[in-house]
Amino acid sequence: MKFSIYRYNPDVDKKPYMQDYELELQEGDQMLLDALIRIKQQDDTLSLRKSCREGVCGSDAMNINGKNGLACTTKLQDLEQPVVLRPMPGLPVIRDLVVDMTQFFEHYNSIKPYLINDDPLPETERLQSPEDRAKLDGLYECIMCGACTTACPSFWWNPDKFVGPSGLMAAYRFIVDSRDQAEAERLENLEDPYRLYRCHNIMNCVDVCPKKLNPNAAIAKIKDLKILRAKEKKTKKTISITSV
Amino acid sequence: MLIELLTKKYPGMRLWLAQRLSAVVMAFYLLVFALMLIIKQPGDYAGWVELMSPWWWRVFTLLFFVSLVMHAWLGVRDVFKDYIFNLKLRAVMQILIDVLLVIYLYWAGVILWSI
Repeated sequence: MKFSIYRYNPDVDKKPYMQDYELELQEGDQMLLDALIRIKQQDDTLSLRKSCREGVCGSDAMNINGKNGLACTTKLQDLEQPVVLRPMPGLPVIRDLVVDMTQFFEHYNSIKPYLINDDPLPETERLQSPEDRAKLDGLYECIMCGACTTACPSFWWNPDKFVGPSGLMAAYRFIVDSRDQAEAERLENLEDPYRLYRCHNIMNCVDVCPKKLNPNAAIAKIKDLKILRAKEKKTKKTISITSV
Repeated sequence: MLIELLTKKYPGMRLWLAQRLSAVVMAFYLLVFALMLIIKQPGDYAGWVELMSPWWWRVFTLLFFVSLVMHAWLGVRDVFKDYIFNLKLRAVMQILIDVLLVIYLYWAGVILWSI
């Protein structure tokens, strides 16, 4: 099987280049990651991230034949040859297929990805009704591989300002959580023209998500919720003025 | 109510909302326009004049063009901000587009009120 892999070692190479590899597949080689591990055995200068090898950790996200995905969940038989592998676009390359995800995690951090609840801790856990718990389905499963965010042109052009589909879906996951008390603060945190509203519904995020999630729908729900809450705020203000 | 959401108090939402509202106006106009065509079936110049003559229809049509210009302005502005990194070039391009859109709007008004 033929591969063409992006190579770049900033300590040695003046610029990136594509290196061809030819690999004899062996029995049991089913996923792209299996092939990459064999290539790495042939050429140990090749750098890539991997960990769980079953689509849970999100470490081996890369650009596979032009589309972001996980090497460990991509079947070799589905790939056209030569298989062109590049690092995820839009982030600085550390080496070969390894990118610097600092910016990605800074955005994730900026949406405060934890429950904010000022009530005293109950004796056991904070309970949710099954209906409230169901609202988190399709949101909490994100493995933060970065495939969606780095496939998004809005992130490419404004990586320092636009939170990106992954971060925004995480934001909605906490906004919609019945145990969280910081909805207003979270919505306010996404008000500037870039953080949320730079999403133009291109939907690359939906196309590439290896977990088949829909960040675009979560982003649309945040926008709807922002209008709803702003209108409610206005109504409340009008009622209080009238009652005075 | 909606007007307040279009103020500087909501710097992100107002641009997004303005684009959506203008799209709603255009979609509504096109729907009514299609219905008018089906009902009136203007087959010749006289038929078109009759269709476009009522003052309220001309105002509604102008509102459609205002929405179109606003929608286009917001869209092109975003594209320029994303793809043109040279600030001077971006400013020149934006001014050109702004002038063009104003001319188009004026032109639409002239056509509508010359019927």
